[in-house]
Amino acid sequence: MKIAALYIDAQVADRPDTRRICRRLGVPTQTVASADDVYADVAAAEDPIGSGKQVLFLTRNKGAFLKECPGTRHYTCCGYRILHIGSYCTMDCSYCILQAYFHPPVLQYYINHEDMASELDRCLSEPGIQRIGTGEFTDSLIWEPWTDLSRTLALRFARQDRAVLELKTKTVNINGLLDIGHRRKTILAWSLNTERVIRSEERGTASLNARLRAAAQGAQAGYPIAFHFDPVVITDGCEEDYRQVVERLFAAVPPEQIVWISLGAFRFMPDLKPVIQRRFPDSRIVYGEFIVGLDGKARYFKPLRMQVLQSLAQAILSRAPQTCVYLCMEDDEVWRYALGFTPAERGGLARMLDEAAARIGGLGSGPRRR
Amino acid sequence: MASDGGLTENCTRLIPLADIDPGDDRFRITTRRSDDLHLSVQRLGLLAAPLVLDGADGFIVVSGFRRVEACRRLGWGSIPVRVLRAPTTMYACAIKAVGENSLERPLNLIETSRALHVLDQHAPEGSIPPEDAAALGLPTHAGLAAKLKPLCRMPEEVQAAVLENAVSFAMACEIGPLEEGAAVAFARLFRRLKTSLNKQREIVTLVSEIACREGRYSRDVLSEAGLLRVQDAEDLDHNQKTQRIRRLLRQRRFPALAAAEDRFHALRQRLKLGENLQLAPPRDFEGTRFTLTLNFERLEEVGRLRAQLDELVDHPDFKTLLTGKGRGFAGASVP
Repeated sequence: MKIAALYIDAQVADRPDTRRICRRLGVPTQTVASADDVYADVAAAEDPIGSGKQVLFLTRNKGAFLKECPGTRHYTCCGYRILHIGSYCTMDCSYCILQAYFHPPVLQYYINHEDMASELDRCLSEPGIQRIGTGEFTDSLIWEPWTDLSRTLALRFARQDRAVLELKTKTVNINGLLDIGHRRKTILAWSLNTERVIRSEERGTASLNARLRAAAQGAQAGYPIAFHFDPVVITDGCEEDYRQVVERLFAAVPPEQIVWISLGAFRFMPDLKPVIQRRFPDSRIVYGEFIVGLDGKARYFKPLRMQVLQSLAQAILSRAPQTCVYLCMEDDEVWRYALGFTPAERGGLARMLDEAAARIGGLGSGPRRR
Repeated sequence: MASDGGLTENCTRLIPLADIDPGDDRFRITTRRSDDLHLSVQRLGLLAAPLVLDGADGFIVVSGFRRVEACRRLGWGSIPVRVLRAPTTMYACAIKAVGENSLERPLNLIETSRALHVLDQHAPEGSIPPEDAAALGLPTHAGLAAKLKPLCRMPEEVQAAVLENAVSFAMACEIGPLEEGAAVAFARLFRRLKTSLNKQREIVTLVSEIACREGRYSRDVLSEAGLLRVQDAEDLDHNQKTQRIRRLLRQRRFPALAAAEDRFHALRQRLKLGENLQLAPPRDFEGTRFTLTLNFERLEEVGRLRAQLDELVDHPDFKTLLTGKGRGFAGASVP
């Protein structure tokens, strides 16, 4: 969706970054004293969730820039740290949890980068390997047309040897990153799905071909590459569809350049279901065989998840046995069935990923921070 | 109340019954038909004259539909009526129509809906002044009124189900907005099953989700042979029919889960646990821990349970139960 209006928090109105974004966007601008003014405008729209994607609010992040991945104790979490650069997204995926996560959801971008830089400096000086990403509360690269943030971050991570930055996206906005000295400390990651799911559920995202072409470009530029099959959507014939995506993935990117591939079956908070039913009446994604998981989220009936995740993992590992494949938010039973081992048998998921990051990104070793 | 009593002051006249338009129901609030009112009119006479409006093509009943129908049934040629004097606003007529019902007796849900609807249609500024609604004893809460208004425009069978209490107000609000065929099919089903709101909700959700998943109409799902057979089964009572229909729908909506449950129950039955030993799986087979419950009162019972537990540990079906969960106790297949 295109940005139609820009709201500027009065506290950041005079910042150079703010002025630059205003110039680049070239849309009507309004300075507001409080976020409530923006929320009120968005909440008054007929479809606040869609409307929130068309206004950009430039403001300060008053909280922490670095947060822990919000995993739950019942399922194994990757132990990722989130760099909170902004929130929400201009693309419109039916299954996106951000639709139900913010009330109302508004596209926000944080301008106080000096606070972010000092928080990052502190974090990067801690011992041990760290994996940090910007793609949890937003898509990492939707901001590229108006900001240079990813480039700045990639250059910052290039100046150290203890952490990797993962930029996770469904866009192809990597041009600003191709010509910089990243020193393999930035991972370019794409969320992948079948053509069918992309067509029916991922409005406004780049096509599968385009994502894989961008991944190939990133790989040629020397970046470590990652892929996330998340959400895996279980439908008739989905296993074959996912196998075909795997074939195309390896046709685009050599296995030795892939740092990890995650697999996560579609799961959602109960609040999201009526949102999807209302906003995407043609979507059938919530009519799968879902049960209530131990974390209260709807999840596919376990044997179905196990079968599809195993099939997908096998497709990947038969092509690239050395690739670090992991499951997102699954328990040991699913791990053992799908991958043949549990994370604990390999020192834990965080350690598996740290080692993959160290191997592909050339990080220095050391005890983990956690 | 936005009273224009001066304008609407009426006079009683005797008019030919044929001059009253029998097809004009615009002010009808009552859901009752004449039934045996004609018998009381025959014996006691017409105690209160109906209220009519002198329209261009004859008289329009504003209040007293049942009385007019009773008189017709008795073959009367004329009827005493109170005639609203022109010019009378339609809103004033609506207020009279509602007030002569709502101030005399409690209105049922459909009548309340009709009352709100007729007032809403003619309200001077597009919505009923809350003071008028309050004075007429109608709900003043905007949210409740908004939910009530569409009831009287729902298909006749849905309204009939509401009047019979076979479908609650809450359920009517859920099925009302569905395509007409589905709303009627649900109403028809619930009139036959006479089941609770929760079970109705479960049935509506299951049918709607099966329909959405398969790109079909809910009414087509409800007309599937298996469901119709249960509905028509003469040897089953309401509760048994409801239970079987819920089961059938659940099997359609959650085929792998329902099959796993069936296989689990079959395996558990083979263990012959008896009434003092219960084995429960993790909810929806998602977690990893099973639960065994022992019931006992005396020491000898504990001894027997211990022996039973020893047998259980060696039972091959017990091992299958503990190890086969991830496969739905069989080769669970992707739908």
